[in-house]
Amino acid sequence: MNETISKVGIISCSGEEIPEGTIARQAVRRVLEGLRPQQTVTLCLPLFLAGEVGERRFASEHPTITVDGCDKLCAKRGTEQFSGAVNTSLVVTDILGGPARGCHRSTRHADKADEQAIWLVAERVAAEVDALAAADVPTDLTEVPATSGEVCACGRPSPDGKLEVNGKSVIINGLPLIFEHLQKNGLQPGNGSADTLLETVRIYHPIEPEEEAAYRQALADAYQRYC
Amino acid sequence: MTSQNSQSQVLIVPCSGIGKVHGLVSREAVYQVTDKLLPGQADTVCLALLVTGDPETRQKVRQTPCITLDGCPKLCAYKNVELSGGKIAKGIRVYDTMKRHRGANFGTATALSEEGWAVVEEVAAEVVEISRQEAVT
Repeated sequence: MNETISKVGIISCSGEEIPEGTIARQAVRRVLEGLRPQQTVTLCLPLFLAGEVGERRFASEHPTITVDGCDKLCAKRGTEQFSGAVNTSLVVTDILGGPARGCHRSTRHADKADEQAIWLVAERVAAEVDALAAADVPTDLTEVPATSGEVCACGRPSPDGKLEVNGKSVIINGLPLIFEHLQKNGLQPGNGSADTLLETVRIYHPIEPEEEAAYRQALADAYQRYC
Repeated sequence: MTSQNSQSQVLIVPCSGIGKVHGLVSREAVYQVTDKLLPGQADTVCLALLVTGDPETRQKVRQTPCITLDGCPKLCAYKNVELSGGKIAKGIRVYDTMKRHRGANFGTATALSEEGWAVVEEVAAEVVEISRQEAVT
């Protein structure tokens, strides 16, 4: 079933030669899978040349953010050259304040430095998605499947983070990723984790003051099960 | 943009697939070859640089035999190297290799499973074999 909604398109550089390319892709994946799955779509950059007319209309169908690994700006230039205007251009080295020192091209060797860089970039991309959504940037065509969190040549739906709060089922974008991140940072399950969980989740999901206690307990329980 | 070795005997160009595990398998196979199996002999280039027509990258793919690794039938890597006038020694369809492991869980577009890493090794071995044949000819 389709509904008319305007999703933000995110195009990552391919950046196979440099660690910043891997950070760009992993950060975009994190936004698509966890942080803003219902609001974003993507496309492989080289499809503008290798694909068909439909793929070249991508930037006219979606307000578009490009995420480049370096100042060659391939994603921005490629999108503008073959598809359409870009609304927001981000560069990994700008977000990180310089080259991604200590980061790796291969995910096999990814460590804490990679993880922190990916989170920084992903959070910036998510903030730009929110800004574009708030600005309600017009698009030429906005008919996209409402059920898919990502669309590409080989896309599939993204998972959501469901939580039971006061007997109600709520969806928290990126909850599995938040748990994974906190676990890697050494957060132990138990009552001592509740405040950290609440403050982290609050960044991505609105929590009313009167709901804090219920969320705190639900998050602590869910994190306990996750760990 | 750094290149490990401007005198590399072969360039390995993976697709930039971001939607499924196949793109990640392709890229990791490239790193396995360039960083571990044939360091100094094999190198890679950013596919996006070819898409935007970067002269230095075009020159590289025209001068050096290229092995392309594609994760889906759209064949972005193969087509973009070909459009740039590159010398393609072999186009490997990674998804065909993965089909031989029907039912396996390769992981996701973000992280590979053990079975995913096993396919990476398999594809990398194929790339090494082709690279050695290219070096001989």
